[in-house]
Amino acid sequence: MSTIDTMRDILHNPERLVADWKAQGKKIVGYRCIYVPEEIIWAAGMWPYPIFGTPEAITQADSYFQPCTCEFIRNIFDHALDGKLNFLDGLVLCNTCDAVRHLYDMWITYIKVPDCHIINNPQKMYDESGYKYYCVELKRFKSEMENLSGNGISDESLQSAINLHNQTRGLLKELYSLRKKDPPLISGGEALDIVMASMLMPKDKCNQQLQQLIAEVKTRESPKTRGPRILITGSIIDDPTLIQLVEEVGGVVVADDLCTTTKYFWQEVGQNKDPLDALSRYNTERCLCSCMHPPERRFDYLWELIEEFGANGVIYFNLKYCHPFLYEAALFREKLAAKDVPTLMLEVDHSLSGLGQLRTRIQAFIEML
Amino acid sequence: MVTGATAPGKKSLQTTLEISRAVKAYYGGVQAAKQEGKPIVWSYGLIPREIFHAVGAPVIYLEHLPLLMSTKQLSGRYCQIAEEEGFSRDVCAFHRCFIGCAAEEEKHPYLAKFWAPPDLIVASNLPCMSESKSFLYAANHFNCPYFFIDAPINIWGKEIPDYAVEYYAGQLGEALDFLGGYGYRLDWAKLKEAVALSRRLVYLWREIDEYRKAIPAPMGIVDGLTCAFPLIQLPGTKLGVELYERLRDEIKERVENKIGVLEEEKLRLLWIGVPPFYNMGLLNYPEQYGAIVVKSFVEYLAGGAFDPAIMDPEKPLESLATKALVDIVNPTYQNMIDFAVQTAKDFSVDGQIALVKRSCGLIPGVLRLVKDAVYQADGIPTTIFDLDGMDLREYDDAATKANIDSFIETLLDSKRRG
Ligand code: SF4
Ligand code: SF4
Ligand code: SF4
Repeated sequence: MSTIDTMRDILHNPERLVADWKAQGKKIVGYRCIYVPEEIIWAAGMWPYPIFGTPEAITQADSYFQPCTCEFIRNIFDHALDGKLNFLDGLVLCNTCDAVRHLYDMWITYIKVPDCHIINNPQKMYDESGYKYYCVELKRFKSEMENLSGNGISDESLQSAINLHNQTRGLLKELYSLRKKDPPLISGGEALDIVMASMLMPKDKCNQQLQQLIAEVKTRESPKTRGPRILITGSIIDDPTLIQLVEEVGGVVVADDLCTTTKYFWQEVGQNKDPLDALSRYNTERCLCSCMHPPERRFDYLWELIEEFGANGVIYFNLKYCHPFLYEAALFREKLAAKDVPTLMLEVDHSLSGLGQLRTRIQAFIEML
Repeated sequence: MVTGATAPGKKSLQTTLEISRAVKAYYGGVQAAKQEGKPIVWSYGLIPREIFHAVGAPVIYLEHLPLLMSTKQLSGRYCQIAEEEGFSRDVCAFHRCFIGCAAEEEKHPYLAKFWAPPDLIVASNLPCMSESKSFLYAANHFNCPYFFIDAPINIWGKEIPDYAVEYYAGQLGEALDFLGGYGYRLDWAKLKEAVALSRRLVYLWREIDEYRKAIPAPMGIVDGLTCAFPLIQLPGTKLGVELYERLRDEIKERVENKIGVLEEEKLRLLWIGVPPFYNMGLLNYPEQYGAIVVKSFVEYLAGGAFDPAIMDPEKPLESLATKALVDIVNPTYQNMIDFAVQTAKDFSVDGQIALVKRSCGLIPGVLRLVKDAVYQADGIPTTIFDLDGMDLREYDDAATKANIDSFIETLLDSKRRG
């Protein structure tokens, strides 16, 4: 099996890994999203386990949430109701959008995962008072994780967790540099699977796989197909179908600004004598997401990706009722137009309905490029 | 889809008319200030109004203007303009409406009565996190400075820890510095006075609420919504206090004389979610069954559901911060759920009508929790159905009335059977 297939296998069938971990008497803590400092969970000897949606239809969650809550959140809650997340020993959410905050309330009311936490991270980045406030929040969170795991977290163990996770980020960035080639050495669909698998896997295992994978990809022959270079952005994408759709109609997906891809690894945690402080800085100086302020910094990051990867066009895939990105799409449309970047705004369902119509619109966009 | 006619709501109180006049005068005052060359502030949500009143900054709260447009059935038109500007129909209709108001080149004569474009914007993520992005459109459109106040969500319940109060209070201080940069200098004595007036306003509001619990209800939801204006726009002003003193006196008299909105009350209902401002007559619709809607949660959307004792005029910024953070619409929602349970009980309601405004990212997410909590605590049922109270284009009169009919019939039936 090639390394990418191994990683995909873990992503789609994590049960064995979960069982092995549990067999060692260790805990697993589910989390959403990239603003949760997984290093603290790891340093407490637990596995930070990102929760993604699945393509399965929602059955029970719709009697708890109204259909106007983003489908991704309803999808996650449906799994929780189904008992598919019962292996978790805890759940950590953070303060990012209304849908996530609703998930927290629903979870503590109706789901019996023993420990549920929410980190009250500021939404205003690069702000000294927000940073100071967040330092206190992280101390609180650290002690909650110590209680949950029964293990103390020393500065050394936290620093070593930061180093380990930074290594993952660095490796993913190295892998992504191979997408800057024309044509790129990995496809958009592959990139999504690799980053999601990397997010999921315990990082010691993950880093070995990534090193191997990079070596393998470097030996690949350049693909023959050429086409307009596309950057994908918008709400969460946790299934490669939409990206593959762009590639099927002749687009070359060279970069993605998603919480399941670059947002996860684009910046590394800085070095600091106090590792908790380093994490506080990291999470208050990272305006990668439309949920955060100020929007100018968020746009700078998007623009950096467009330039670095030489994208000729941008496609927004916004989930229905994902308010942060629906606003952003309207606000950034003009900014991108002013920079001569053609943009296609699409509203999609997490359950991927209406693919035929989407295909037609994407095809027209690619042809126009 | 619009089926059926819209109608204005019936009001019963004299003070309601006075408050309606105060609304017009308020906007008139803002427009006059604009003409004098004073910078106009646009703000939103739970940002304490007291800071603006204390520095004499004319402020328009952007959830109120769309509401006024909706009462004249203009909100759909403005939402449409926003959609043409690229805003999805899934984002809040209030915000689409005001984006449309901002974008409209030649203002509609009714909008022109209230319209004053912003020179400064102070936005926040409280209560709903993403909708404040609509202000970025306004900041860009009017090319005006923008200040953002970040609010921690309330994971603590009724006791907000010092570090969170300090964070929010610090940002209120920064917002005051921002206003100071445009000529609105802070006088601490005035800020303390504003906090004292605001505390008095909430005490009066609570006193009024006590009277409103009487049977028969001395005041219904249509009056209640108009009378929420001082709570929305005037905390920290003498005018707000005066209006509520008059309202308190009028309602007290009605209770003492046992004057109710209905002669015979068969059912008492609570309204959760945005009412149809374009068709306020719907709020009187249950009256044909002898059912009165005694209260609407929207009255609390800009504050008021907290113990005013937490406000200390000697610590003005900390008081305002605590008041905002402890608010029932600040997630997480335990405070809201507790408040809903208590309100249903205190107002002796037989049922709750809860609306899903699909474009709202906040309220629909909490309805199931409220429904279950109120039923478990008080045995009071809730019906939940779709109704966008802001965007007339989404309104289906026949379906809405059918939902209300069947709920009321069920309640009456279960009352008959004891
Ligand atoms: S969109 Fe932003 S807040 Fe939402 S999950 Fe992704 S990174 Fe987190
Ligand atoms: S940011 Fe959007 S996609 Fe992500 S959880 Fe929030 S509403 Fe859903
Ligand atoms: S209706 Fe909902 S989304 Fe709109 S402003 Fe009110 S709380 Fe926010």
